[in-house]
Amino acid sequence: MAGETAAVSMTVNGKPITANVDPRTLLVQLLREHLRLTGTHVGCDTSQCGACVVQVNGKAIKSCTVLALQLQGADVLTIEGLAPADGPLHPMQEAFRENHGLQCGFCTPGMIMTAVDIVRRKGHDLDDRTIREELEGNICRCTGYHNIVKAIAAGARAMRGGGAAAKAAE
Amino acid sequence: MSATGIGAAVRRKEDRRFITGTGHYTDDINRPGQAYAYFLRSPHAHATIKSIDIKAASKMPGVLAVLTGAELAADQIGNLICGWMIHSKDGSPMKMAAHPALANGKACHVGDPIAVVVAETLAQARDAAEKIAVDYAALPAVADPAAAQKAGAPSIHDIAPNNTIYQWHLGDGKAVDAAFRSAKHVTKLDIINNRLVPNAIEPRAAIGEYDAGVGTFTLWNTTQNPHVARLVIAAFVGMAPEHKLRVIAPDVGGGFGSKIFIYPEEVVALWASKRVGRPVKWVADRSEAFVADAHGRDHVTHAEMAFDQEGKILGLRAKTIANLGAYMSTFSSSVPTYLYATLLSGQYEIPQIYCEVDAVYTNTVPVDAYRGAGRPEATFVVERLVEVGAREMGQDPAELRRKNFIKKFPHQTPVIMAYDAGDYNASLKKALELADHKGFGKRKRESARNGKLRGLGFSTYIEACGIAPSQAVGSLGAGVGLWESAEVRVNPTGSVEVLTGSHAHGQGHETTFAQLVSERLGIPIDNISVVHGDTDKVQFGMGTYGSRSGAVGMSAIAKALDKIEAKAKKVAAHMLEAAEGDIEFKDGKFSVAGTDKSAAWGDVTLNAYIAHKFSGQELEPGLKEGAFYDPTNFTFPAGCHICEVEVDPETGNTDIVAWTAVDDFGVIVNPMIVEGQVHGGIAQGVGQALCEGAVYDKDGQLVTGSFMDYCMPRADHLPALRVDTTMTKCPSNPLGIKGCGEAGAIAAPAAVINAITDAIGSEGLTMPATPHVVWAALQKANSIPKAA
Amino acid sequence: MAMTMNGEYELPVPPQTVWEKLNDAATLKACIPGCEQLDKTSDTEFQAVATVKIGPVKAKFKGKVALSDLDPPNGYKISGQGDGGVAGFAKGGATVRLTPKNGGTLLSYNVDAQIGGKLAQLGQRLVNGAAKKVADDFFANFANAVKAG
Repeated sequence: MAGETAAVSMTVNGKPITANVDPRTLLVQLLREHLRLTGTHVGCDTSQCGACVVQVNGKAIKSCTVLALQLQGADVLTIEGLAPADGPLHPMQEAFRENHGLQCGFCTPGMIMTAVDIVRRKGHDLDDRTIREELEGNICRCTGYHNIVKAIAAGARAMRGGGAAAKAAE
Repeated sequence: MSATGIGAAVRRKEDRRFITGTGHYTDDINRPGQAYAYFLRSPHAHATIKSIDIKAASKMPGVLAVLTGAELAADQIGNLICGWMIHSKDGSPMKMAAHPALANGKACHVGDPIAVVVAETLAQARDAAEKIAVDYAALPAVADPAAAQKAGAPSIHDIAPNNTIYQWHLGDGKAVDAAFRSAKHVTKLDIINNRLVPNAIEPRAAIGEYDAGVGTFTLWNTTQNPHVARLVIAAFVGMAPEHKLRVIAPDVGGGFGSKIFIYPEEVVALWASKRVGRPVKWVADRSEAFVADAHGRDHVTHAEMAFDQEGKILGLRAKTIANLGAYMSTFSSSVPTYLYATLLSGQYEIPQIYCEVDAVYTNTVPVDAYRGAGRPEATFVVERLVEVGAREMGQDPAELRRKNFIKKFPHQTPVIMAYDAGDYNASLKKALELADHKGFGKRKRESARNGKLRGLGFSTYIEACGIAPSQAVGSLGAGVGLWESAEVRVNPTGSVEVLTGSHAHGQGHETTFAQLVSERLGIPIDNISVVHGDTDKVQFGMGTYGSRSGAVGMSAIAKALDKIEAKAKKVAAHMLEAAEGDIEFKDGKFSVAGTDKSAAWGDVTLNAYIAHKFSGQELEPGLKEGAFYDPTNFTFPAGCHICEVEVDPETGNTDIVAWTAVDDFGVIVNPMIVEGQVHGGIAQGVGQALCEGAVYDKDGQLVTGSFMDYCMPRADHLPALRVDTTMTKCPSNPLGIKGCGEAGAIAAPAAVINAITDAIGSEGLTMPATPHVVWAALQKANSIPKAA
Repeated sequence: MAMTMNGEYELPVPPQTVWEKLNDAATLKACIPGCEQLDKTSDTEFQAVATVKIGPVKAKFKGKVALSDLDPPNGYKISGQGDGGVAGFAKGGATVRLTPKNGGTLLSYNVDAQIGGKLAQLGQRLVNGAAKKVADDFFANFANAVKAG
C-alpha cells in the first residue's frame, strides 16, 4: 500500500491545492499533515466528537470520515479560512470569545464550524433546545456546554448583521 | 475594582489563537526529521508473553526500529513509579509492583504496551506492527475490585498477595462503634462509585528529541505538570539527568487529572529518539486513550451513619475497596486515602469517623486522580447517607443538613482536616431561594399530571483544595512538596512576564494571573505575559491539579510581586530623592507621601535597569524576583448544589430540568472563568451520574472502549445552569482564594442521584443511572407492595 | 468477551459420509468463511489464515485449528484460536454431533467463542451477530458441500 500515491486537487480556504496522497489518507490528514492547517483537530476515531468538523461545498462534515481522494474539485473551508488572519473575527468566533464558549480550545474549531452550519440550516433565531439538539455530534469536556449554547445563540444573531468576515466566509 | 483587576470578568487573552485555529497543541508541532511511533498493545487482560518475533516487522518499509521490553531493560531504563507512600494498618508499606514502560514477560491489562514500532510514517509504523508475532499464554483475569481479594482470584503481581496493595485506615474505630451503639437511627448504604474514563478531547501525545551533540533530550508532552514529568523521568526512569532534559507542555487540550501522570509512552518516545537518532512523535488515537489513560473512581463501599433522636449525626463508618488497576499510577495511592477519607466529615459536625480502605490490583487500566480525585467519592458517601437518613427518619433533607452543619471555625474534624472558614448555611439558604424550593410541591404536582415523576436532590459538599501544605502532605507519605513557584520579570519598558509553575489546559491562567499583576502593578493587562509549561523557562513548579493554581500558584506570584514592589520602591526612592519608607505605590504610580512628587511605573522600571540614580553596590540593577509559596493549610471550598429532575416512568429516562449551584470559593479573580469551571465540573458529575461508566467483562475486556459505547455527556443531557456564589475569605493564603476547578464534579453526582431517588421513591440505584437502570429500579420498587 | 450459539442441519447422507467430510482439509477450507489457507500439520491439527470483519475492525487472523474428542462417526470438537495482530484475538470452538435421522444425518452444533483487544473494544456490540453469521455460513457451506458430494 505504502508508496502508491494518487493526486487530488481541491480548493482549501479559497486557494487551489494539489496533493499526492496515499489513497487511505483522510481529509483531516490532508489538512493537518500535508497542508499544515492544524486548526482542525482529531479527538476520536469513531466520528463522534466533532473536533474535526470543516465545511465541504458549504456543508459541515467530519473530516475524519471522508477520504481526501473523494473530494476532487471540492471547496473546503476550515477554521483558518473562516476569518482572515489578523483581521476581524467571524461573528461566531467573536461570540465564542465574548461568551467564554471555550476553555481548553481543542473542540472549539469543530464547534464553531458546526455552529456556522447550524445557522445556515436553522436561521438566526436559535432557541436553547434547538442548539443543544444540533450539538449532538460535537463533544466538549470542559464547558458543560452552557456557554457554548449561549455563544451560538449570540453568534447566530450577530451573523444576521453580516460583518466583513461572515461575508467572506459565505 | 479596575476593569482588568481582581473580580473583573475579563475576556480571555488566550482565546484568539483557539478560535482561529492557531493554537499549538503537541500534535500540531512537527520536528525536522521526525519519525512516528506506534504501540502494539496487549489484547489480553492477563497473559504471559512467551515470545515476541519482530523479524518480519523490522523488514517492513520505512521501519527504523522495533523495540520491546527486552531492549528497554538492556538499556537500563527504569520503571514508572507511584510517588505517594501509603502504609497499611499493620505498618507495612504499600506493595508497588514493577511497572516497565514496555511489558517485560507479562501483560497485565488490555492495552498494556508490548512493543513499539518507529517508522518514517505513522501508516508504515502501524503496518509493521501488524507483522509482530507475539506468542501469548493467556492467564485467568480479574477486573472487579470486590472479586480481586477473594480466594482463588488470579494473582497479578507476586509482590501483592490477594492482589492487595494496602489495607489502610483512618480514625478511631472503637470510638465509632461506641457512637453507633448509642444511636437512635442508623442508615446503611452499599455504594458503587462507577469507574470513569477522563476523555480530555485532546488525546495524549509526546514528541521525544535527542540532541547527540550536547547529550540533551527535549520532550513535548500533553502534561499538566512538566516539571514533575522531568523530575520523575530523570530521577526514577533514569533517562537523562534533570538538567539535560527539557519538558515542554504547549497548549494542552484538557486534562482533568489524566495528564498529571507519567506514562510509558512519553518515556518510550524519548528513549526511542536516542535509539533511532531522530525525533519520535506519538499521538494516541481515542481507542488507545481508552486503554492507556488512567481511569478514575472505581470504589465499592459499605457506609453507615448513626443519628441521635433529634437527627444529630453521631458517627460515620465506611469500608471501601478501591480498584487501582494493573499498576500503581503516579499518585494513585493517595486518591482513595488522604484525598478521600479525610473528607468524610463533609460540612457536618461528626464526632467520630472511621474509614478502612483496601486498595487492589485488577487486570484493568491503572486508576488515578480524575477531577475531584477522592473527594467526589467522599461527597457521594456523605451526601447519600444524609439524604437517605433524612428520608428514613422522616425529616426534611435541607433541615437535617442545617441542623448538622459546622458553624464555628476553625473546625477540627476527626479525620485530619482543620476547616479554616465557611458559612454553609448561607450557601444552602441562597440555593433554596434560587431553586424556588418553596414552589417544588406545585411543580411536582404539575409533573404528575403529565405522567412524570419529579424529584429534588441536594448536595452540600466540601472539598480540600489548594493542594497542599508540603509539611502536611510529607507527613502523610507524599514524595514531593506541593508548594508553587513564580518569577516576575519586569522589563525596562515596564511590561511584565510572569513565569509560573502552574500549568493551564483550559483554566485561563494567561488571563487570571495577568489580572492579579494588573491589579497589583496598575498596568494594562496587555502589557503582561504569562509564561508556563517549559522547564527551560520556568525554574520549577508542581503543576496544576487539585484546584491549586489560584490558591497556591497565584499566591506565589503575589509573593514575588511583594518583592518587586519592595525593590521598585527602593528605586523610586532614589529617583525621587526621598526616604524609602515615604514611598507609596498605588495605581501604577510611586509617590512621596505628603508631597506631589511622583514617578510613573515605566520610569521606575527603566531606572531599575539604567541604574543611573543609584549605586550598583547598595542596590542591584534590574527588576526580577522569584518566590516559592507553600500554603499553610488546604483550602476548603464548599457549597450547595440542588438538582431537579423529571423521570419518565414509562422509559426510565431522566431529564434534568433545573440546576442551582451556590458555591463559596473565597475571593474570585474572574467570575466568568469561575462560572465556566463550575459548568464544566457539573457536566462531568452529571456524566458520572447519568451515563458514563467504564465496563469490563469478566475476562477483563473493556466493552465501553469508544465514544460509541462510553456515553459522554452531550449538550442535550444538561439544562442551562444557574450558578451563583457566596463568599467567606480563605484565611490560609494571602489572596483569600479557595479554588473552583473541581467543585462541580464533586457536588454533582450526589445531587443527581438524590434527585432521581426522590422522584422514584426508591434508593436502589447504581450509577450511571441510565434509563434502563432507573426503569428497572422503578419496576422493582413497584413490585414490592404488590408482592406484600 | 464471550458468546455462545447453537444450531442444527439435516443432511441427506449418512453420518459416516459427513464424518469424512468433516475431516477433509479441502472441504473445511472451502467452508470456513474468509479462509485463505488451511494446511494440515498433523491428523488433528491445521495452520489457518482467515480474514474476518467485525463492524469497523477487519483483520487477518493467523492461528491453529485443532480437532479433539474424536468419536467417529458421531462427532468431534473443532476449535481454533487466531491472532489478529493489532486487532486482537479470537478463539472458539464448536462441538459437532452427528446422529442418524431418516436415513440421513442430523448435524447439531454448539459454538462458544471469545474475542479480545480492539475487536472487543470496538466491535463488541456487533460480535454476536458476526460470530453467528460465521457459524451459520460455515455450516450452511458445509451442508451444501456434503449435498454436492
